[in-house]
Amino acid sequence: KIFPSHLCLVFLTAPLFSHLGRYNDDFDDGEDLADFDDNDFAEFEDMNDDLAAEAETAPPPRVSPSSQPEEDEDEATVELEDGQDGFDDSETQVQDFVSVKYDQEEFEGVGDMEKTGHSMKDPLIIHTVPAHLQNSWESYYMEILMVTGLLAYIMNYIIGKNKNSRLAQAWFNSHRELLESNFALVGDDGTSKEAVSTGKLNQENEHIYNLWCSGRVCCEGMLIQLKFLKRQDLLNVLARMMRPACDQVQIKVTLNDEDMDTFVFAVGTKKAMARLQKEMQDLSEFCGDKPKSGAKYGLPESLAILTEMGEVTDGVMDNKMVHYITNHADKIESIHFSDQFSGPKVMQEEGQPLKLPETKKTLLFTFNVPGMGNTSPKDMDTLLPLMNMVIYSIDKVKKLRLNREGKQKADRNRARVEENFLKQTHAQRQEAAQTRREEKKRAEKERIMNEEDPERQRRLEREPDSMPR
Amino acid sequence: SQTLLGSVPRRLVAVVPVEYKPPSTETNPTLEDPTPDYMNLLGMIFSMCGLMLKLKWCAWIAVYCSFISFANSRSSEDTKQMMSSFMLSISAVVMSYLQNPQPMSPPW
Repeated sequence: KIFPSHLCLVFLTAPLFSHLGRYNDDFDDGEDLADFDDNDFAEFEDMNDDLAAEAETAPPPRVSPSSQPEEDEDEATVELEDGQDGFDDSETQVQDFVSVKYDQEEFEGVGDMEKTGHSMKDPLIIHTVPAHLQNSWESYYMEILMVTGLLAYIMNYIIGKNKNSRLAQAWFNSHRELLESNFALVGDDGTSKEAVSTGKLNQENEHIYNLWCSGRVCCEGMLIQLKFLKRQDLLNVLARMMRPACDQVQIKVTLNDEDMDTFVFAVGTKKAMARLQKEMQDLSEFCGDKPKSGAKYGLPESLAILTEMGEVTDGVMDNKMVHYITNHADKIESIHFSDQFSGPKVMQEEGQPLKLPETKKTLLFTFNVPGMGNTSPKDMDTLLPLMNMVIYSIDKVKKLRLNREGKQKADRNRARVEENFLKQTHAQRQEAAQTRREEKKRAEKERIMNEEDPERQRRLEREPDSMPR
Repeated sequence: SQTLLGSVPRRLVAVVPVEYKPPSTETNPTLEDPTPDYMNLLGMIFSMCGLMLKLKWCAWIAVYCSFISFANSRSSEDTKQMMSSFMLSISAVVMSYLQNPQPMSPPW
C-alpha cells in the first residue's frame, strides 16, 4: 500500500538521492514518474513502502548500499558492499524502521518535516575542529613558549655578561694601585710587539678576564685570571641552583731560576689538596704523603698541607703567612709553590710521555670570591689583602733557602723521580728509537726506488747493503 | 723594604718586563671547556634531523643548542663556525614551518 504521506516524504528526500545519477539509465519511466524530476525514483515506485520509509530514516551515506541490493535484483551491474546478505539485512532493518515509524505516528507532523528537511535525520553532532586546522594564534602556544624561552635566554645573556663585566672592573679598580706600584707592566694582551702597559684587563670571553703583570724583581711575571661563573649562560645559571659554585681568582707567578730554591709545597682546603695531589704532576711525585692538617702550624682545621719535607713547611709558614692565611681562610682554595711545576698530569696515547715534561718555577694561588655566586662589586675589595699576601710570598720565596741537609734531600728526590721516569719509559724509548731507525731505512729505500734506472743501478753499486726488495 | 706607593723604586727600572704569551691550549686539552664544541655538534645534528625528518621540535632544540654554544664560546672560537651553525638551525625551523604550517604538538 502506498500512503500519500509516504509519497510526500519521498518527494522531500529527492535532493538526497540526486547523487544517484548513475542509476538513471537503469530506471524505466513509468506513468507515476511524471511527477518526479529524477528518474532514480522509478525504482522506488516499484518497491514496497518499507524501502521508502527506510530511505527516509537511514542517514544519507547509507542510501547507496541499501539501494544497491535492489539494483542487483534488476541488473547485475552494481556490486554490493556488504555482499548479497546485505540485502536481507536491510530488509529486516527497514521493517524495524517502519514499525517504529508507525508507532510514533510521525506522519502527523508532516508540516514540520517539510520545513526541517534534513533535520529529521539523526541529531547533528558538532565536532570540534582539530587544533591544526584552526587558524588562531592560541593553537601555536608551543611556538610562543619556545620563542619566549629564547628571549629569556638572550635577556639572561645580556644581564650575566654585564654583571661579570662589572665585577671584573670592580676587582681591577680596587687592585690597580697595588699592581701598578709593584709592576712596571700592568696589562698586556700579547698582540703588540713592544711590552707596553695597556692598563686594563684582557677579556678572554664572557666569563674569563686576564691580566698580565711583569717588570718586577724576584719574578718573571704574574698572570691573574678572573674566572667568573658563567652567568651569561642560562643553563649554567639553572645548574648552579642545584650545585652552588663561586667565582675564582687564579694567580700564577712565574719565577726565574735564581728566584726560588728547590722545593714543592702546597696548602689549601682539604678537598682541594686531595684533588691536587692526584692531578698535579709535581705534587704527586714529590709530596707522596697524605695531606696533613694545618692545625699543627696554627692554621684553621679546614686547611691541609702537602709538603716535600718538614723543613719547607717551617720555612714557608712564618708568622706573617700564618696570619694572612688564618684571617682569610674562607677565601683560600689553594696555594701551591713548586720548582718542578709542569701542570696537571698529561695522559698520552702511548701511555707514558717519552721525555720529562718541562718544568718552571711557579707560585700558584687560587682564591674564592666571597658570596658563593651572589657577589656584588663591593666584595672585590675583600680580595685586596690576599694580593698583598701574594706580593709578600714572592719576596719570601726569593729569600727562602734550604739548609744543606734539606738541599741534599731535595736533590736526591729530584734524581729519584728522574730515574723512575727513565726506567718506566726505557722500553718505550728503545722501541721509539728502533722505529725511527726503521723509518730512516725505509725512506732511504723509497728514495732509491724512485730514481731512474741507470742512476739506481749506480747507487746500488755504491751501497750494496741498501738492496731494494 | 718593599715597594713605595706613588714612586717607582730604582730596582724596578732595571728589570725588563716580559711580554705576555697566551698559554697554548694544545698542551693542556683537558683544561679546555668542551661545552661549546659539543653544543655546536648537537645543534648541527638536531638541525639535520629537523630538516630531513621534518620534526619541528628538533629544529627548535637546534636553535637552543646554537645559542648555548654561542654563550659558552671561547675567544679563540671562530665566529664563522658559530654563525653557520646558527643559520643552519634557523633555516631548519623555517623550513619545517614552510613545509607544514601547523602548530607543533606537545609530546604529552
